[in-house]
Amino acid sequence: MLDDLLTHALLFVGGKGGVGKTTTAASLALVAAARGRRCLLVSTDPAHSLADLFGRSIGNRTTELCPSLWALEIDPDRQADEHLATVKARMKGLVHPRSFAEIDRQLDLARLAPGTMEAAMLERVAEIMALAGSEYDQVIFDTAPTGHTVRLLSLPEVMAAWTDGLLGHRQRSAQLGSALRHLGGGRVKGDDLSMLDAAEDHDTGGRDAQLNDLLQARRRTFVRAREQLLDASHTAFLLVLNPDRLSVLETLKAHDMLTRFSVPVSGLIVNRVLPDDADGQFLEARRRQEARHLEEIDRVFATLPRVRVPLLPDDVHDMDTLRHLGHTILGPVSS
Amino acid sequence: MASAKGRLGRLKALLEEFYVSPYRGALARARREEDDLFMLFVFAELMGVPNPAAYYTLELQPLLLERFHEWHQRQGMEHSPLDGFRCC
Repeated sequence: MLDDLLTHALLFVGGKGGVGKTTTAASLALVAAARGRRCLLVSTDPAHSLADLFGRSIGNRTTELCPSLWALEIDPDRQADEHLATVKARMKGLVHPRSFAEIDRQLDLARLAPGTMEAAMLERVAEIMALAGSEYDQVIFDTAPTGHTVRLLSLPEVMAAWTDGLLGHRQRSAQLGSALRHLGGGRVKGDDLSMLDAAEDHDTGGRDAQLNDLLQARRRTFVRAREQLLDASHTAFLLVLNPDRLSVLETLKAHDMLTRFSVPVSGLIVNRVLPDDADGQFLEARRRQEARHLEEIDRVFATLPRVRVPLLPDDVHDMDTLRHLGHTILGPVSS
Repeated sequence: MASAKGRLGRLKALLEEFYVSPYRGALARARREEDDLFMLFVFAELMGVPNPAAYYTLELQPLLLERFHEWHQRQGMEHSPLDGFRCC
């Protein structure tokens, strides 16, 4: 049904909390690996459940699950800690040791500032996205609930605009500086203008160049991530939902948001649909209710490829069931 | 002859300075404004102004520490406005 999903190097699986994102992502990853594609399965949900699903510890380092399949649970806290440690070390190289305690205090506050976790997560996600199509044939992101993910995907655009703004200021400053030098700026000692050249006099060791390098490096990462997200041949976005009212409504919102950020949605997984052979009066009533939601899904998302995955009698936690699920989603194996 | 040339050269330099210095002042000021604005963006979060990218500006701060003192004085703050950066 969605058999072209695995032709994309980058696959995001999103949806409301608890609809079965992790299970879906894992089942697709297993099929990709079974087809011999080197696959990395990444969880960005702060409440990771990949480890629980596979019944083994995974954590913040790439862990091999089976041949051709690796998994990783991103820990934004660790990422932020490492980032702040780097900044601290750089600052301490520049100030008097008596300020060390104050630098520590200031940066530990920054650690708790709103947005820090998001930024750290984005940094890591962007790094991993760059591995898709090179280090790995397939990178599958099991994302956090929708709102968080949409924000994450919109960040590269915002951040690229922001670094552009800063670089613009740097560039204008550099142009003015060079014009200034042509007019002999900085040469005349003792006039009242020499203090205006102070910034330049202090610029030992190419600080300006370093500033620009840092900003450029950030910008490249953001722009690259953004380009990957917008490239429909490279990236697929899969939304998982259940046939119930809240799930449908949230999926609609997610779809609107993704469309607004020009991120192409490749398909829907309608998960946990009551199977026809489930019997009993209660389930019959439930199924009538469900039919209305299924109709609504078909109506609203008529243009998107959709796959219905039945509710299973047992929990999914062994590799065979997961792989079977993957085949249900992807359709008959072609290779 | 040689001294006349030297005098002429001095006169030329003086005239040049006379015509050019107003422009130099304007340029230097414009440049300083650009740099000050950049500083404001980088240190915004520490001053309570929301910054969409505080996490990423942090890494720029070490490079700007030396300019920080001049900057906050120019912005009309006699002492460092930040607890974390007591440069004076």
